[in-house]
Amino acid sequence: MSDLATTVRVVRALGARSIRQTFRRPQLISPIIVFPTLLLAIQTGGAGAGVELPGFPPVQSFLQFMLAGSMMQSMMLAGNSGGIAFAVDIEMGFTDRLFAAPIPRFAIVLGRLAGTAALGLFAALWFLAIGLIFGAHIEGGVPGALLATALITASALAVGGIGAAIALRSGSASVVQGLFPLVLVVLFLSSAFFPQDLMIEPARTIAEYNPLSFIVEGVREPIISGIDLSHTLEAVAAIAGIIVVGLVLSARALQHRLRVG
Amino acid sequence: MEATASPTWRSNLATILALMARAKNELVRVPGAAIPGVLAPTIFFLGLNGVFGALTQLRGFETDSYESFIVPVSMLQGAGFTGAAAGVNLARDYEQGWVDRLLVSPAPRWVLLAGNVLAASARALIPATFVLAIAFALGARWPGLDGLLVCYLMVAATAAAAACWGSMLALHFKSQSAAPLMQAGMMGLVLLTPAYAPLALLQPWLEDVASVNPLTEVVEAARQGFVGAVTWSETWPGLVALTGLLLILGALALREMRRTNV
Amino acid sequence: MPAIAVEGLERAFDEVLAVQGIDLEVGEGEIYGFLGPNGAGKTTTVRMLTTLLLPTGGRASVAGHHVVAEARQVRSSIGVALQEAALDPLMTGRELIRLQATLQGLPPAAGRQRADALLERVDLTYAADRRVGTYSGGMQRRLDLAAALVHEPRVLFLDEPTTGLDPVSRKTIWEEVRALNEDGTTVFLTTQYLEEADQLADNVGIIDSGRIVAEGTPEELKAEVGRPHVELLVGEGAVPAAERACAELGKLLPPKDGKRVLLEVANGAADIPRVVIALDEAGVAVESLELVRPTLDDVFVAKTGYHLEEEEGKSGPEESEPA
Repeated sequence: MSDLATTVRVVRALGARSIRQTFRRPQLISPIIVFPTLLLAIQTGGAGAGVELPGFPPVQSFLQFMLAGSMMQSMMLAGNSGGIAFAVDIEMGFTDRLFAAPIPRFAIVLGRLAGTAALGLFAALWFLAIGLIFGAHIEGGVPGALLATALITASALAVGGIGAAIALRSGSASVVQGLFPLVLVVLFLSSAFFPQDLMIEPARTIAEYNPLSFIVEGVREPIISGIDLSHTLEAVAAIAGIIVVGLVLSARALQHRLRVG
Repeated sequence: MEATASPTWRSNLATILALMARAKNELVRVPGAAIPGVLAPTIFFLGLNGVFGALTQLRGFETDSYESFIVPVSMLQGAGFTGAAAGVNLARDYEQGWVDRLLVSPAPRWVLLAGNVLAASARALIPATFVLAIAFALGARWPGLDGLLVCYLMVAATAAAAACWGSMLALHFKSQSAAPLMQAGMMGLVLLTPAYAPLALLQPWLEDVASVNPLTEVVEAARQGFVGAVTWSETWPGLVALTGLLLILGALALREMRRTNV
Repeated sequence: MPAIAVEGLERAFDEVLAVQGIDLEVGEGEIYGFLGPNGAGKTTTVRMLTTLLLPTGGRASVAGHHVVAEARQVRSSIGVALQEAALDPLMTGRELIRLQATLQGLPPAAGRQRADALLERVDLTYAADRRVGTYSGGMQRRLDLAAALVHEPRVLFLDEPTTGLDPVSRKTIWEEVRALNEDGTTVFLTTQYLEEADQLADNVGIIDSGRIVAEGTPEELKAEVGRPHVELLVGEGAVPAAERACAELGKLLPPKDGKRVLLEVANGAADIPRVVIALDEAGVAVESLELVRPTLDDVFVAKTGYHLEEEEGKSGPEESEPA
């Protein structure tokens, strides 16, 4: 029980540190919020007429449709940003200080993930607010908004695990930073920005099997039509899968880091 | 030997060419340095094409090939990115003291700026050509030689304008931390146009913004060969817009260069 | 006409007055050493004289041209090697010098010739076609110096040219500076190394907190603060006898740590034989004898109240004790 209490205490402290780090430095927050918001405005304004295409899901507006995609984008960038910050900690030697402390080692990773999850939560709330301000309805009401927020927060945890694993394995911020284009690629090859059935091949087929598509649909459904159990379960399963992959990779990378120093 | 006489046009040209040659070193001597500049517009092109390709089914779309419609935008995006990167490089040069070496020489300030700007302009042709090759592979329409030349001219001039913008910020802030502003500024300018769809199909607010955005004329001029015929009436507004942007941003950048000693 | 003439030169950064109305003059063909600790205003002064910074008060001219109104003419007349050797690691040494030649307006053929000659002069021919990023610190400084000379400037500004270099590289730079000066180049050299100013400079200006606190030849400055003294290490208890023996030969100074007798002498080394004879006749055993001359650090301490070359770990003026 005391081990659990220690772990919780450490995770909370390190999570708070990682949140403070991000919000104190505008250049870390800006890619997570500014870039996706700019893209949301541009894509909504530019491709908004797409709602008139046959086969487009019934939505109140293209903005309403796009909110989920923007949340996903912000969440993915938060995961990438968390990985970069973790790698910087490794480069600066801060993680060595943590490794030398009498705390459970994996709590160090969990602390970083807690910070990333908090950023995901912030991103979800930000875009919900943007949507409401610019006239989008949340069809699922408060429960729908809460579900969307919970799924994005959990996704941030999942993606953050992969970012942390890469940081631990490489020990280099520039390696993690170099993955930023990959984030965009993975998002474009999902249904984040347009209905999967209206995408062009081969993007359509890839999106069909992309786990991010399941998560996006799970987040989108409560916004555009209301809570739907099957979409929600699919999203949860996809998130759970990524969490497991992320945790396994992180644990292995942590062992590697402890071995090589 | 002392030469307090004004520099000649020959020496100014030699200085510009020497600075352009130096700028090329990063591409040629650093493995992989060209990749980010090529990767970003390529990802956007392929991503946007895959995601929004069905928009051509809408009434009012000038073409049924979204590759043809969007490729000029991606080429211009690459130009904006390359120009902004020139600004980031200048900021780095400033931080490392290299700019002092240039400023302490008798070369006119506009010559020093021109070297940086023209290098970006030339460099932008690389990602532009790469994206174009991919677009053709996916079936984009051949724009004709005239359409191609107009498009490349728009790309080179946009990169020059972006380099002026980036240089201005670099010399004002004297720090690479201004990089996001350089990149975001250009990205916004290129995408707040009929980038994704024709002007009439944009949402009202974006239609209003795009109508006053000088880059709209540049996008339309670059795109014309890919979606139809190349005409002078579609070309000259783009030339005027870019000339205006170059004059304004160039003047601002030169002002900042002259004020580095304040 | 002086090579450099400065009158009331001032530079303020917001409310901080980094250079507070300095006056100085450097004659043609002179080496002027500008000595002071970090933050004294040396680099700010150099940046104003090389047109990289606008003065906020006063006036200055270099090679007969006003640094503000005739900035371009100043730039054509000067060579500059700044504190940070501003080199491009991706360029080769030869490319860099040729670029500098182009910046100075030299025609291509002349630029190529000059580059080859200068690379040979600074002994970098063997590395000329290697990237600057592979050069050692000493090589980079020599290259920077060569680049500053490409157009044979009338006035050369060297801002802390040997900071961070090993003793051998430092000596090499000194030799090159002397050689340049012998060719007629005026050199304005900033340094925080006393020995460097002492060895190289015809005239020294000492700057502290933005003001010139002393100026003159190294010998004049040292003579201002005192004459040479003989320091004798004698046996325990022998100090009084030694002092009695030497009393007529100069001015006795307070002894040091109970075993050293200090005697200020009027004629330097010429007085040593008389001191030795007097001590011998008095039967005083001398363990060691040294002629100690005032240093520029003594001058610095006299003018500012602290040492220029502090021990490692201590900072400058605020923490030093007066001598």
